[in-house]
Amino acid sequence: MRIVIAEDSTILRQGLVELLTFRGHEVVAAVKDADALRAAVEENTPDVSIVDIRMPPTHTDEGLRAAISLRRESPGRAILLFSQYVETKYAAELLADRAGGVGYLLKDRVAEVSDFLDALRRVADGETVLDPEVVSQLFSATRQTDALAGLTPREREVLGLMAEGRSNSAIAAELFLSAGSVEKYVTSIFGKLGLPPSEGDNRRVLAVLRYLDS
Amino acid sequence: MGRARRPGHTDFVTSLDVPRPHLLRRVFGPLAARDFWAEYAWLWLSGPLTLFSLLSFFVLLALGLSLTPVLFGFLVLAGAIHYARGLGAAHRGLAKALLGVSVPAPRRPELKPGLWAWVRARVGDPAGWRTAGYLLLRLPLTFAGMLTMVTATLYALAATPFAVFWFPMGEQRLPLFDIYADNWAGALAWSASGLLVLVALPWVTHAFVALDRLLVVGLLGTRELSERVRDLEASRATAVEDSALRLRRIERDLHDGAQAQLVALAMKLGLAKDELEDLDLPQVKQLVTAAHANAKQALTELRDLARGIHPAALDAGLDVALATLVATSGMDARVAVDLPRRPPPSLETIVYFSAAELLTNAAKHSGSTTYVEVTEERDVLWLRVRDRGRGGARLVPGGGLAGVAERLRTVDGELTVVSPVGGPTEVTARVPLPR
Repeated sequence: MRIVIAEDSTILRQGLVELLTFRGHEVVAAVKDADALRAAVEENTPDVSIVDIRMPPTHTDEGLRAAISLRRESPGRAILLFSQYVETKYAAELLADRAGGVGYLLKDRVAEVSDFLDALRRVADGETVLDPEVVSQLFSATRQTDALAGLTPREREVLGLMAEGRSNSAIAAELFLSAGSVEKYVTSIFGKLGLPPSEGDNRRVLAVLRYLDS
Repeated sequence: MGRARRPGHTDFVTSLDVPRPHLLRRVFGPLAARDFWAEYAWLWLSGPLTLFSLLSFFVLLALGLSLTPVLFGFLVLAGAIHYARGLGAAHRGLAKALLGVSVPAPRRPELKPGLWAWVRARVGDPAGWRTAGYLLLRLPLTFAGMLTMVTATLYALAATPFAVFWFPMGEQRLPLFDIYADNWAGALAWSASGLLVLVALPWVTHAFVALDRLLVVGLLGTRELSERVRDLEASRATAVEDSALRLRRIERDLHDGAQAQLVALAMKLGLAKDELEDLDLPQVKQLVTAAHANAKQALTELRDLARGIHPAALDAGLDVALATLVATSGMDARVAVDLPRRPPPSLETIVYFSAAELLTNAAKHSGSTTYVEVTEERDVLWLRVRDRGRGGARLVPGGGLAGVAERLRTVDGELTVVSPVGGPTEVTARVPLPR
């Protein structure tokens, strides 16, 4: 993959470049702030960008703002946001355009190199990947909503894994279920959330968004 | 209340045992005292001084006011107030020398660079205006005092020697005060009345000066308590603000330093672990796996620590921070934040940690949904935390609620707990916001 990295910490930026290069990817640009990120993305049109949320000058949410504006200009442009903390509100803003090809991960996840690269690949392929911590935040933040009240504990579990961007077969492996029963749970979730039948992947994202909206 | 002396017992000699002065000395002593003459001189001097001060101040003030259409007028006005401040200092010095009243000088106005700022600070200098008020109040008082003094002094000087000096010389009438006597008894009565006035003179003087002293202390000095309170409020606000800033900086340093290093470390260990996968080095593999786990654990702990120092979500505002807090803690709570503007960072931090503590408390004791509400009404921030739990919450020293109350007190906030047994509980924090 051709990748752009925006990360203000030198040690992390270099570490990411080394890691990705080592695993056979091409880092076309590694920059330190949001403005440089915009320029680099426009110049290189990478397959995916890895963007730190906190960057200079204010060290608050520059990366998020840049990601949202980049995706407004070019919907579906793949961006993996990368942060020391996860905030539900940020996730909601990021997913609001419903275009897919976004990820929101805790920086810690890079420690599991294969999982991290897998997530990056899925984002580049247009999927939505949320950090398990974001997912658990979503669940507790929306615990009282009517939509969620209708789900069984098992269905919530499945939905959680869906939100993390896992495929049905991955969910089946994780929960020690057959592919068929996962399929049944997913259909039941869609039904309870009132999501009309459409292309499968899009509905999966909508299911997660339903929580973000509530 | 004299103590009974027992034989063989030596009493300590205390000041109470000093013999009382002779009667004559008690009556006429005050006339000879330095204090009396100082007060007497003060009354004589202050009349002309007050009149001169007030007139000169008014001339300057009128000049300044009439010239306000041009900038120069403002300069004169500022000068007039500055001049009044100087007059206050002169009066204060005189009062100290003659009356022994020592009042601390009022605080200097804070002068900022720039001519206009200077004029504003000078014209707005309360010390100058208070001196003007002092002079105005003092004018009638000082003339009443002077008139009384002059009359009493003249009368005493004329009447007292009447029986011993003028009457024996054959004078039956003095051109002052209608003093007239045709027999010795009358002459003696005049003398006695003169003497009485003379003896009373120090007391009357003292009475007038006492009024003056009040004015000097009340208007020429620093209004100690109020200014002290203002000073303390300002310095405390700085301290609170400073500590909030410092915490924020510590969190940022952690984020940019230790956390980034640890992420990079964990990443490299993760890579090493993956690379070792296919090699037959069980011991190395075990070591790297353990190191990898340690690094990840350290990251988690460091993140919790940093969040406790200064939650990063607070940068985005109280609403985001409180929503994140509820989401991550897994507490059953609903948050509603409605603030028309963002409070200063130090207040946000204090409100955040207060809300966190109250939420934890509510979650521990209620087992039902907790409602958190943050609103602003007329420069006051209200934090309300309600639950329908068992109730019976109280502010006990050393308890969680008392800790919140303490925290709020550093910004003049208050905590009210309404929690009848059986519930519901409503804890309200009130935090004044800067205008």
